[in-house]
Amino acid sequence: MECRVLSVQSHVVRGYVGNKSATFPLQVLGFEVDSINSVQFSNHTGYAHWKGQVLTADELNVLYEGIKLNNVNHYDYVLTGYTRDTSFLETVVDIVQELKRLNPKLVYVCDPVMGDQGSMYVPENILPVYRDKVVAVADILTPNQFEAELLTGRKISTEKDALEVMDLLHQMGPDMVVLTSTDLISPHGGQFLVALGSQKMVRPDGTTSTQTIRMEMPKVDAVFVGTGDLFAAMLLAWTHHHPKDLKAACEKTVSVLHHVIKRTITYANKMAGPGKRPSPAQLELRMVQSKKDIEYPAIVVEAIVL
Amino acid sequence: MECRVLSVQSHVVRGYVGNKSATFPLQVLGFEVDSINSVQFSNHTGYAHWKGQVLTADELNVLYEGIKLNNVNHYDYVLTGYTRDTSFLETVVDIVQELKRLNPKLVYVCDPVMGDQGSMVSIPYDDVDEGSLLSQVMDLLHQMGPDMVVLTSTDLISPHGGQFLVALGSQKMVRPDGTTSTQTIRMEMPKVDAVFVGTGDLFAAMLLAWTHHHPKDLKAACEKTVSVLHHVIKRTITYANKMAGPGKRPSPAQLELRMVQSKKDIEYPAIVVEAIVL
Repeated sequence: MECRVLSVQSHVVRGYVGNKSATFPLQVLGFEVDSINSVQFSNHTGYAHWKGQVLTADELNVLYEGIKLNNVNHYDYVLTGYTRDTSFLETVVDIVQELKRLNPKLVYVCDPVMGDQGSMYVPENILPVYRDKVVAVADILTPNQFEAELLTGRKISTEKDALEVMDLLHQMGPDMVVLTSTDLISPHGGQFLVALGSQKMVRPDGTTSTQTIRMEMPKVDAVFVGTGDLFAAMLLAWTHHHPKDLKAACEKTVSVLHHVIKRTITYANKMAGPGKRPSPAQLELRMVQSKKDIEYPAIVVEAIVL
Repeated sequence: MECRVLSVQSHVVRGYVGNKSATFPLQVLGFEVDSINSVQFSNHTGYAHWKGQVLTADELNVLYEGIKLNNVNHYDYVLTGYTRDTSFLETVVDIVQELKRLNPKLVYVCDPVMGDQGSMVSIPYDDVDEGSLLSQVMDLLHQMGPDMVVLTSTDLISPHGGQFLVALGSQKMVRPDGTTSTQTIRMEMPKVDAVFVGTGDLFAAMLLAWTHHHPKDLKAACEKTVSVLHHVIKRTITYANKMAGPGKRPSPAQLELRMVQSKKDIEYPAIVVEAIVL
C-alpha cells in the first residue's frame, strides 16, 4: 500500500494527543505519515502544568515551502485537528487547496475541534474560519454534536435533527460526516453514547445516495484526551480500506477506540489504586500496548444502517 | 514491558531521520517514547532544499520543566543523536544528570554525531594494527564513561573483501566477584552503493531496544540490531532503484528508509549477521 498522509497537529513530548495520537496507529497500518507539528508542548493541557512553543502561520508556510521546493508535495490524505489560531487554520486551507490541485483525489479528513458539552475551548473567531472556509474543502468531517450545531447554526434534540444537520454539512462540503458523540438517548440506556454517520455517494447512473448509520458505545466514567484524534486517524485508515462502506469503516474505527480505551482505563485504575480517581498522566492512552488491536481490531460494535 | 525512553532528536516533516527514525521502531517494540524535537525541518539536509526551525537551549529547558512540574520526569533511557548547538548539548547533559539522580539505573544511549570519512588519527598503521588500535580506542572510551561502545562503521578491511563494512563492539561488565570483564565482537555487513540518511539513528534506537532485552549479551544485541538495519536498507534500496528506473541513481526522496513497510522485520528480525567474539 502506498499511501501518504500529511498530518498537521500538535506534538506533545509525553502522551498521546494530536500527532502523537494519530501517527503511530497510521504507521502501524502501513500509511506513510508526514507530520507538521503545530505546537510542541511538554504534555496536553489537562495536566496541572504544561509548557512549550507554538508554530506560527509563517513557520507553517516555511515548512510547506521546503516540501514543495523538493517536489514532494504529493499526498493522498490531509488530516487536521485541534487548532487555535485563525491565520494558521487559513494557511492550512491554502495548503489543502494547492495539494488538491496537484492531486484531485486527495481526501481531507478534518476534525473541526472547537468544544464539547455546550462550551467552546478555542477562541470564538475560529468558528467562522471552519464554517466559511475549512468545511468547504473537507471530504470527511468528524464533529461532535456541539461542533455540528455551531457549524450549521442548528440545535440537535432528536435523531431526525441530527440527520438534517449532517445533510446540511454535506451541502457545505464533506461527503462523509461522522457525529462522533451526541447527547441522544440510546434505547439501551443512558450508559451508552450514540454516534451517527452519513456518507453521500454517487451511483453509476450519476444520482446520489446517502447511507446513514447509528452506533452505540458504552460510556466510560473518565476523561480521556486524544481519543478524538485517534478516532479521526482511524476513520481515515478504515475508510481508505472501505471507501464505500461507512458501516464497516465506522465499526472498525469505533472498535479500535473501544480496545484502546478499555486497556487504558484498566491500567489507569490499577496505577491509581482502589477508590482513587486516576490522574491525567495515568489516563494517557495505552497506545503502543494496543498495537495488535490497531492492526486487527476485533469488532465489538454493530452499526445500524438507518 | 514498562519502559520509557526520552529521545531528544530532530523532527522532519517528511522522511526518517532523528526522532522520525527512532520513534516508530521503538514504539513497535513496545517502548514508551517521549520525544523532544530539537528541530522541525521539512526534510533532511541531503535534499536539494530544506527549511524549518530549531529549538533553542532555553526552549528545551522549558519543555523539560513542564515534564518536571508534572512529576513525570522518570525515564529508563535517554537517547540523543545529531546536535549542532553547544549550549543545547550542555542542557541535554544537565537533564541527563538530573534524570540519573532520579533513576540511578537510567541508561543514556548517545550517538556522538560529528562526522564521517575523515580520519583524525595521524599515526601510520597497517591492517593488523588498525584492529588493535581500534580496540585501544574503545578501551579509552570505556575509561571515559560508557560501559558499552559500538564502532558502527570503520575503514577496516574485511577478510571477506572490500564490499564488507566492519563494525566493532565492546561491553565492560562486572562479574559477581566484583572484577570486570570485557566482551568484544566484530561484525561484517555487505556495503550498499548508496547514501542512506537516518540509518545511524535507527541503529542507536535498535541497539537501545536489543540491549534492553539482552543486557549482558553484546553479541545477541548487535546481531539483532545489525540485522534490522540490513532488512530496512535492503527493502529501501530495492524500492529506490525501482522508483528511479534502470541506470538511474535514486534521489534522496526515493532513498528514504522504508520504515513502516519494515514493521515485521523490526518486530522479529531474522538474524543475517554473525558477530564474532574476539
